[in-house]
Amino acid sequence: MSTDPETVRDVFASHYFLFAFLASLGTLQIAVANSGTRGLWLTPRRLVNRWLGVALILSGIALFFLMPLWIEGPWADGSLQADSIIREWGQARWGELAGARNVNDIHGGLDGTKQAIWFPLAAILAFAVSAVIGALNIRNLNRGDLAASEAKSPPTEGGLAGLENHSYFATLPVSIREFWTGIGGVWRTGLLAADRWSLFKMFFGRSSN
Amino acid sequence: MSSIDADIVIWLNGLSGNVKIFDDLMRLMASDYLMPLTFSLAMFGLWFSGKNPAERVRYQITMLIGISALSLSNAVVWLINISWDRPRPFVEHGDELNLLFYPPTDPSFPANPVAVGFAAAAAAWSINRKFGLWMFAAATLFGFSRLYAGVFYPTDIIGGAVVGVVVYILTSYLRRFLEPLVTSIVRLIRGLSAA
Repeated sequence: MSTDPETVRDVFASHYFLFAFLASLGTLQIAVANSGTRGLWLTPRRLVNRWLGVALILSGIALFFLMPLWIEGPWADGSLQADSIIREWGQARWGELAGARNVNDIHGGLDGTKQAIWFPLAAILAFAVSAVIGALNIRNLNRGDLAASEAKSPPTEGGLAGLENHSYFATLPVSIREFWTGIGGVWRTGLLAADRWSLFKMFFGRSSN
Repeated sequence: MSSIDADIVIWLNGLSGNVKIFDDLMRLMASDYLMPLTFSLAMFGLWFSGKNPAERVRYQITMLIGISALSLSNAVVWLINISWDRPRPFVEHGDELNLLFYPPTDPSFPANPVAVGFAAAAAAWSINRKFGLWMFAAATLFGFSRLYAGVFYPTDIIGGAVVGVVVYILTSYLRRFLEPLVTSIVRLIRGLSAA
């Protein structure tokens, strides 16, 4: 099998994306369970979300580091040969698993820049999945007080504050409206309050006054 | 100084090969993926952790500064690297080291991954002391694992930590030159219901 860096990089990128997605989804669930942002919960119960979050993070880590056991890649003899370019393409054995992922970026591992591209994409997908499932949760699963209050009163606040009791899709129009009506004021107030060395105050401060 | 530096890495790396499970743990910790993803996740989680609007805005502005500090610390490390190409320990003391990691090709000083870890930890510390200390501990462990693996000198780790923290402090200070842009970015993300 080829150890061409591009081929290796493709393998790493797909595995890393899955790892980052599961771990981001888990982290998001723990964070929104703690802050009470119900519109992003994967389940209707806070405690379940918290433990689901922990489980998702651990599964992401386990999957990423155990995958070399059953998927072929440049990790065979990983712990025996530190120099990643002379590794054999194949499946890793238990004993060499810890070092299997330690492949130099010049030989196909992901460098910081690639990770800085893949991680935000995975995090955005995790947010999108939470928003969709959270909306289904609010609409279908939780038919108690929350669903009734949402039906009776549309969200009055945008952003994450609106997601505390409403779905993402119910909150989004309010958030967009708040942004368009409020951004001018935020900018002007910000300019007035900004430090006198602020670049924007230097250029736009006088005209806004 | 250079001799003490080499002595420490040779002594510490000399402990490897005795307890395989510890060596394996250090290989995992030294990985390019585990700890860097942990730092990114911490920042991602803190973004959503505020319990009221004021706390949220404070957390999110701090996270934006933290993300900028990560990028800037990379740039500072690169600038130092082009002015001083310090060879890695395994290049100078290859016969005395048992390399547990792939041999990186970039200069040794300062440790880039440690700079990034400490910049993220400083951002976390500025909004939650207890969580920040855990992050500093994680960044230190990351640096220690690379030292144990034989790819950095102790002064590289210290240099990386200093770069990360100093760049974070400078970036927070620089925010005053960019307001109200930073607050407006948070408002824009709030317009997408994500802040």
